Amino acid sequence: MARAAPPPAAPACLATNGRLAVAARLAVPARLAAAIAGAAAAAGALAVAEGPGRATTYAGSSAAGATLTLSAGLGLIAAGLVICLARRPGRTGDLALLAGLCWFTPVWAAWQDGPPLIPTAAMVAAGFTFPLIVHLALTCPTGRAGSAPGRVLVAAVYAEAVLTAAVLALFRDPYFDPGCLANCTVNVFLVRSLPPLARAVQAGDRWFTATAAAALAAVCAARLARASAPARQRLLPVHLPAIGFAAAVVARAVVLQQTTVEDPFNPALFAIFAAGSAAVVLLAAGLISGVARSRAERRAVARIAASLDEAPAPGSLQSALAAALRDPGLQVAYWLPGAQRYAGATGQAVPEPAAAPGRAVTRLTRNGRTIAAISHSGAVPGIERQIGAAIRLGLENERLQAELLAQLEELRASRARIVQTADTERRRLERNLHDGAQQRLLALSYDIRLARAAAQADRDAQTEVSLTGAAGETQTALEELRELANGIYPAVLAEAGIGPALATLADTAPLAVEIVLAENRRFPAPAEAAAYFAVAQAIGDAGRRGADRAAVSVGQEGGRLVVTIQHNGTGDASPMMAAADRIGALGGSLSISETVCRAEIPCASS
Amino acid sequence: MRVVVAEDVMLTREGIARVLTEAGVDVAAEVGDAAALLRAVRTTQPDAAIVDIRMPPTHTDEGLVAAQQIRATHPGVSVLILSQYIEPHYAMRLLEDHPERTGYLLKERVFDVANLTDALRRLADGETVVDPTIVARLFSRKRHTDPLGQLTDREREVLALVAEGLSNQAIATRLFVTERTVEAHVKQIFQRLGLTADPDSHRRVLAVLAHLRGTT
Repeated sequence: MARAAPPPAAPACLATNGRLAVAARLAVPARLAAAIAGAAAAAGALAVAEGPGRATTYAGSSAAGATLTLSAGLGLIAAGLVICLARRPGRTGDLALLAGLCWFTPVWAAWQDGPPLIPTAAMVAAGFTFPLIVHLALTCPTGRAGSAPGRVLVAAVYAEAVLTAAVLALFRDPYFDPGCLANCTVNVFLVRSLPPLARAVQAGDRWFTATAAAALAAVCAARLARASAPARQRLLPVHLPAIGFAAAVVARAVVLQQTTVEDPFNPALFAIFAAGSAAVVLLAAGLISGVARSRAERRAVARIAASLDEAPAPGSLQSALAAALRDPGLQVAYWLPGAQRYAGATGQAVPEPAAAPGRAVTRLTRNGRTIAAISHSGAVPGIERQIGAAIRLGLENERLQAELLAQLEELRASRARIVQTADTERRRLERNLHDGAQQRLLALSYDIRLARAAAQADRDAQTEVSLTGAAGETQTALEELRELANGIYPAVLAEAGIGPALATLADTAPLAVEIVLAENRRFPAPAEAAAYFAVAQAIGDAGRRGADRAAVSVGQEGGRLVVTIQHNGTGDASPMMAAADRIGALGGSLSISETVCRAEIPCASS
Repeated sequence: MRVVVAEDVMLTREGIARVLTEAGVDVAAEVGDAAALLRAVRTTQPDAAIVDIRMPPTHTDEGLVAAQQIRATHPGVSVLILSQYIEPHYAMRLLEDHPERTGYLLKERVFDVANLTDALRRLADGETVVDPTIVARLFSRKRHTDPLGQLTDREREVLALVAEGLSNQAIATRLFVTERTVEAHVKQIFQRLGLTADPDSHRRVLAVLAHLRGTT
């Protein structure tokens, strides 16, 4: 069912395709005509069954036979009308109406004192009852024959019925038919009497029909077995009676193989007729119950629409839809055109919904753009119609929200990556300085000392003085390099954590810094670095604003590392952009007033 | 005197070995990582091990860990940690378990022969060695309330030498006073600062460092 959603479809009743607006206008008279024709066919059939041919039809053979004939035929017509009035998509309604009309044809064929055209035409039409019921059963619940085996079966039974009807109409002389019972004299279409051909076609038809009925039962059983639980609930009321009907057809063929004449007073044949008719009554009832069920679901969906103005939390639309359609596995995936991917309601990435056994995907579009893809049990016919305009609006809103959340999350992750990369780079720089330049300077200072000792030994006072100067310069360079490396990324921060690193910061701070640690523990490295650099920046800023003392407290509140810096500096505080960026990248917050900085940094409690 | 040198940067390792040789110290082994250091200490039984704080594989605190292992398993072997960090945290961590015969010096200091031999001699005498730069930094730390303000100049002088790990006798020699005078000063200082550690034990170094850092 993965297809673009069409505009809300008009009922395609007795006008299956083409200009839908015209079809919708024609629908009312067409329905009335069908209903009148159905009632007339039923009433006429009753009259015919009471007439001279009464002993040749099931309807005429007993009151039970009449009741069964009427119930099955009128049941099908009623189901057809209900389906059409409910504006269900597909051909199910038409098929039910036609099958209902055809159901009465065997009775009309026994009208011995009417115009000869009517029993003859009824004989021809009677051959289409079986294909129509096969088609009807297989179009449930989507309105289409669906799977390939189903489509092949439907095509085959129609083709065989047309062929058989044509041959029998043109070449069967009822007078020479040994199996003839109801109409044994009249065939107005007869071109040439070919009794052997007619007999061969009748026998072939009997066996083909039995085989097709078995195939119908098999397809229905396979669909029931494959369907998800909610889909099976929809299929059962139609597919189970269809299997019963198919069994009756097979049984009839087996019995007729022995008796040749279909005598309605034969107890076995009557029992088979009764079972088949009862199955058709149940099938009609199943079709009507399916419409009622869809109505209930549409009402439930409408209730969601009514509750949408209460600003639902992300994902509530999916759960509401799942509840309304009684499909707990229903999933809504929103299309994010910017990111070219699907996302859940909270913006998290989800794979593109794909059709699977028992699961179908319906894409919802608006002005040609995809809004969402809904993965649902394949049993919900026309889900895109059930999701009315208001729900679509809700889906669109939720999609926008999901897109926003996804973008926020991507932004946050990107900022965190930038800070992470910068920190990795800082640590690498610090390590390179330590292992490279600092070691070379150390070696240089040693060589200078050696040279100075040599100059001393040679009593070369001038060289000694300049080498002493060089040694001092080297020492200063070493000290400056050490401060630089420490400023880039303090080794103690990575090795021992926030507490020792802050203590060392306090050792060298230009103001008196008191540090209070709630507990001496480690936090994730990015959180520790963010806290450390925030304190360093805050103390530097406080020093520039004349502070001579500061108190730093470090603790954990919930899942957050909370650092507070209080000082006695005056004047406008620096916005501390570097620290704010770092903390923001981790999803934390930094508040700054004249004398207090407070940073809250999310940290997994490890 | 025989020493083992552990330092992963060859340039620096050779420099140290040359200084030691120059000072008449016998270099029993030169190694590049902690595992080789522990092996060398076991096989050569040196008087001292000179250990870089940062060695492979993680380049963080391998030297500190190895130093504590040596002090625990070979009580007769002194350990001198060489570092480029003026980092009281590392020095205090080193002194936590075995303060005697343990030292923390800045790397550039050992290239002065006198400094190196002096440190090794003090460790051999059972003293503790803390780089004067670290002590000076702690003394210059800005404080909310300055406990050092209650001390006389001479007392501050004595306190700094205690923090550097000198024994009373060594302080007396350095300041040209009697050992008894130093003892009296130390007792007075500890009382004024409210230090509870035994003023005569090796632990006093750690206690003074912690006090100066405000982390007691």
